[in-house]
Order: sequence, then structure tokens, then C-alpha cells
Amino acid sequence: MGVFENPEKFEEILGGFFKLVGDTPLVADKLLTSGMIIRFNYTDPDLILVIDCSGDTIDVRAGDTETKAIVEMKMKADIGHKFWFGKVNLTMALTRRQMVAKGPVPKILKLLPAIKPTYAMYPKYLDENGYGKYNIHS
Amino acid sequence: MNGYAGKILYVNLTSGQIRSKPLDRVFARENIGGLGFGTRIFLDIIQQNPDFDALSAENPFILMTGPLTGMHMDGVARWTVCAKSPLTGFWGDANIGGHFGAALKFAGYDGIVITGASDHPVFLFINNDTVELRDAGAYWGKDVYTVTDRMMTDLKTQSSGKGQILTIGPAGENLVRFASLIHNKGHAAGRTGMGTVWGAKKLKAIYVSGSNKLSVAHPARLKTLRRELKEIYEESIYIAALQSTGTTSHMDIGILSGDIPIKNWQMTEWEQIDKLGPVVIEEKIYAGRKTCFGCGVACKKEAEVKKGAFKMKKGPAPEYETVATFGTMCLNADIESVAKANEICNCYGMDTISCGSTIAFAMECFEKGLIDPEDTGGLDLTWGNARAIVEMVEKIGKQEGFGAVLAQGSARAVRYIGNQAAAFLTTVKGLEAPMHDPRSAHGYGLAYGVSPRGACHGASLTFEVEGGAMYIPEIPDLAMDLPEGSRDRAKLNVAAQDYGMFFSNCAIFCNLGGTPLDATRAIAIINHVTGFDYTLDELMRIGRRVWYLKRGFSNLFGAGVLEDNLPPRLMTPMPDGPTKGSVPDMNLMLAEFYEIRGLDNNGIPREKVLLALGLGPLANLLRGKD
Repeated sequence: MGVFENPEKFEEILGGFFKLVGDTPLVADKLLTSGMIIRFNYTDPDLILVIDCSGDTIDVRAGDTETKAIVEMKMKADIGHKFWFGKVNLTMALTRRQMVAKGPVPKILKLLPAIKPTYAMYPKYLDENGYGKYNIHS
Repeated sequence: MNGYAGKILYVNLTSGQIRSKPLDRVFARENIGGLGFGTRIFLDIIQQNPDFDALSAENPFILMTGPLTGMHMDGVARWTVCAKSPLTGFWGDANIGGHFGAALKFAGYDGIVITGASDHPVFLFINNDTVELRDAGAYWGKDVYTVTDRMMTDLKTQSSGKGQILTIGPAGENLVRFASLIHNKGHAAGRTGMGTVWGAKKLKAIYVSGSNKLSVAHPARLKTLRRELKEIYEESIYIAALQSTGTTSHMDIGILSGDIPIKNWQMTEWEQIDKLGPVVIEEKIYAGRKTCFGCGVACKKEAEVKKGAFKMKKGPAPEYETVATFGTMCLNADIESVAKANEICNCYGMDTISCGSTIAFAMECFEKGLIDPEDTGGLDLTWGNARAIVEMVEKIGKQEGFGAVLAQGSARAVRYIGNQAAAFLTTVKGLEAPMHDPRSAHGYGLAYGVSPRGACHGASLTFEVEGGAMYIPEIPDLAMDLPEGSRDRAKLNVAAQDYGMFFSNCAIFCNLGGTPLDATRAIAIINHVTGFDYTLDELMRIGRRVWYLKRGFSNLFGAGVLEDNLPPRLMTPMPDGPTKGSVPDMNLMLAEFYEIRGLDNNGIPREKVLLALGLGPLANLLRGKD
């Protein structure tokens, strides 16, 4: 079994984290400038999360399969979890198709510097919100 | 012969004699091409007199294409050069793309072996069967851009096809120890001072044009494979990144893992990093894209700075390595100045990695008070001083003032500045390390340490595999899930060297444009082109032999176990950031590596290992070295 017991728990944790990211100006301002709409398609357990940066604020929606995303990311939940700790070699994950990214590459690349601060935020968020057992650093 | 032009040129600059010899089919099959040919021919030439100076007439210079060079395919336009390195004193080689290699094969030659030295400046003119050494007095002293433009005009009417030029600039003539060979203004055989070898031989340039065609053994099979590859390339995000922003896309990716050296390897994070990233590059200096022969990846970018202190005409843009050496390494966030430094390096013909790293080293010496404005001729070498960086690049090219000290490379500059400066070195075997931090991926540390030409990310495929750009499922040691730290890195390095020698040294695939290829497809390409029936085992054995030859040459020239270590600067853990506390365990990795490779306590290959690979002549030369 993977890190997360079920889709509900995964949504609770990752959805909550994405909302925190959306409320953090250091990251959110750059994401909003990009105007991106990103759909994360997670498996094991299955979850769809859309991060919509096309408006004035960042909107996080679970289960949204209707919105036309600019970037589609597909990966296992465990890879997604590890990624937010900065523990996934992004190039390797993409080469070995542990992550599949579809969309305009220059726009995807532009996002990378913006999300770097989230690596430090994720373990802190887990610890502060009662999800400490999911923190791989603990 | 399918895939090959069928002849090798031998040019003796001392006597002026030029001969062409048919390429032997058995030799081709056994050595593939590129450095496979180069190392074998080098061994034959130096056997009688292995003790020579890199700047002497005795140093052979060998330029070789591979069987794929000149094919209309992605990622196969490359070719190789080799000689003893004037920068390190050990084995030297470099790998370069563009159109020159293809043109040489269209002229009828798989490679050129240059021996001796001329007593006056010459250039080699090749137009199919017409091969002549000509006086280069009119070009000597001129920069690379001028020579390229002028020679193209001067020789156009004497050419049967479009001419291609490989030349040195003033840095090579002035014997700057990291002088490079430049083709078409921006393609560089950059590392280990191959341009310096030409300068010492008074060889200014090679002009080549040809009108022959290359044959392929199985064109229908190749066509089918190319169709299959088209889809694979279209799906590769790595290729898409190269196409959109070139190698500088690594500025965005590398910073995540702490791979980018900053302030002479003292930092891995910097708030100004975005000013050097692909977004700013596109906004400020981007001026178009170019490509190598037959390659649809087109990762080469053009740059232009229209006004200001760093104004430059439209020309080759800095690659990632150059942006890092003149940018992050020097704490210089001015991308226009980086583009200008790159232009000067291209015009003078200098390796941007060694040049930028040596300036970063000097900046640290300046900061720590080991040198002052009196030494530097008034230049204020404080971190981030873009104007001083650019001025110093030019001084190095001219061997002027303090530039003459830095023109020797950072390791030699310590002799002038003083031993305290050794603490700031980033060299292995005297070669400045490339812009990928082994503290972020420990296998790079071993790769730099045991690379026969010195610290280098192109000396094997370790960087591509551990970094993640390549995946070779047919070779277990190149497909395993690596644990964190230094474990399993020796196995990784050995396999990445053996396969890498085949892939990017002999065949010769591009380490960028060839990344989507697994072993099955890479072997299919070479078999379809040549008609040989290579197996992976056979190619790994050939690759292994090439690695031992290169290693043996460096041993022969004096490299031993001490030269396999990383400098203290690269072994200093970072206090924070993505690589916090992480340093490669070189003792562990080297011990495992020596065991697998069969190296003795001095780092020299054991005789039985060499004999098993048919390298008796190398074993004879090395006997007594241990």
C-alpha cells in the first residue's frame, strides 16, 4: 500500500496544502502571474486536483475534470507526496515516466523557480496540521 | 564502406607531407569511430616516444568523426578531437557538433591525424581530393569571427560544396592553456586546451568542403526506426525543454537540487538566480535558434545585446555552463555581461568553463586579500563586478597583465598567487570542474575524480543517468533505483563509462539530442547505418577498451591515485540548502571503483586487465609506472 490510506485522506492533506500555497504570497503571486491552470491526475489512490491560477486568487478544486487545463500532470500519489519534499529528481521522474507532463514546456519550466519555497513549507504544514506521520523527515 | 567516408588523412606539419590512407574495415568494426579511432591511433604514434610535452611537435592531434556523423538524424552531428592536454599535462579530448564533421565526411575523410609542427602559420585546405597546407599569414592574429567570415569569402570559389571552418583564435596562438577550437563561431571543442595544441603547431584553421555522399547499409530499416523515433522525440519533455530554451533550462531545474555552483562553489542558493534563468534570457538577449547538421532538436540559441556596456552583435548565445561560470560562479546577475563574456571567449577561442571558473577563483583570491588591484592591473575583482569580469576575459585571451597568470588555468595560477589559493581550486587533474555539484549527486564526484581528462561531466554518461536525463533499461546498473548517498555509484560509473565511450565517444551520439535513445535503439541505428551486427556486449567491451586507453594515457603522463580525488572545496558540506551536509564518500566510491576496474594501489590498470582487452602495447608502456 502507498503512503495514503484512501483518496479522502490524500485530498484532505494535499488539497489543504495546495490551499496553503495559494494563500502564501511568496509563491502565489508568481503562480498568479503565470495564469496557469494545472490538473494533477494522481493514482493509488486516485485523485484529481485542479490548481487554477487564472483568476485574482488561486482556486483549488478536487475532482474537476471539466476545466480545460493548460498543463496536465500525471503521477502516483506517492511520487507526488515525495515531490513536495523536494525529494524527487524531476528530470529522472519525467524520463522514466514516473511523472508525465503535458503542456507548453516553457510555461512548465517557468513554474519551477516559483514552487521552490514549497519544499520547505510541506513538511512544516504536515507537522502543524496533525499529519506528522506523513512527514518523511520525522 | 557504409556509414564511413572510407579514408583517413595524415598531415605532417613539420615536413608538409600529406597522405590519405584507406580506412580498414576490421579496424572500423573493432573501434567504431571517434575516440575509438583516436585512442588507437594515438597509442600507435606515441609508442616509440611516450615522453613529450603537450606543446611540442611530438604531441599528435587527432580529429575523428563517427559512422553516424553526416547522417540526417537527430543528435548525431558530433565528432571528436584528442591530444595530450597543455592545460593538465594528461590525456585531453573534446567533443563538438555543428557541420564540420559532416562536411569532412562529404569530402571523403573520416578523420585527420596531425603530427609535427610548422615553422610558420598554416591552414589546411580540403576540397574533396584536393588537400593542401597553405600559408595562414593573412589570418594569424585575427579573431575567430573574422577568420570564419574572411576564409569563407576567400575560399568560396575553390569549393565544391559549402565550406566549413574550424579555427583557433588569438588565445590559441598566444598559448592560453585552455584555448579551444571553434567551428562556425559558436561550436567549441572547448575542454583541455585543444586550441593550444594547434597554436603550438602554428595551425590556424582547417577549411573543408566536399560533395560526396554517404551510404547506409539498411536505409529502409533506418527509415522505419526514424519514424518510430519521431514519436519518442515528440513526447520527450527533455527534448522539448532543449528546443524551447536550450541548455539554460537547467538554470530552473538545477537550482531545485542544489546542482548549480554559486560564488565559486560556496553557495547553492541565491536570490538573484532568476536574473540568469531562461525567462530573462528570452526577454533580454534571445535572438533566434540554430542547429547542428541534420538535427531537429535545434538546442543552439542565438543572442544579441543591442546597446549598453555589453553590446554584442547577433551570434551564439551562452550555454548553461557559460551562464553558470560567468554568472552564478562570479555572483554576477547581469545576463548581458555573460553573453558578452561568451562572445569574447568565442572570438578568442577559449573554454568558457575553465575561463569563468578561473575568474571566479581569482575573485575569491581578491576577496581574501591574496591578490590586490596592483596585481590585477587596477581591475576590481569583487564578486559580481560584471565589467571587471568581461575585461578580465579579454586580458586572458591576450595574455595581458594578470590575464597572463589566469591564462595558465587556476591550478597553475596558484604557483603565482601562493599556496593559500589552493583552497579555492575546483580542479581535478588540473581541469576546472563543470557546473554540476557532486554534493547534489554523489556519483558526479566519482565521475569527476576518475575521468581521464579531469573534472568533467562529459567523460561518461554518469551525469545523464544519475541526473535523470537518460534511462538505459537494458543495462541494470544504468537503470537501478539509486539509494541516496554514495552507495552503488561505483557500479553506475563503470557502466556509464563503458556505455558512454560507445555512445558519445565512438558512435558518436550527442549527450543532449541523444538522450531519448535507449540502448536497443542506439544499437539499431549504428547497425542499420554500418551494416555491422554489433551486440550490446560487444559495444560495452569496445567502450571499456577505450576507457582503459584514456585512463592509461593519463597514467602514462603521470596521473595516479592522488589525481583521482576531489579538491577540498567540492568536499566541503553546505550549511544549508538542498545539499545541506552532503558530501560524496570518495573513499568508499574509489575503493569500489578500483576493485571493479582492476586498478592497482597507484590507480594504474593491472596488466592482466589490459591484456584481456587486447591492450598489450599500453601495458608495455605502463610497465614500471607502478
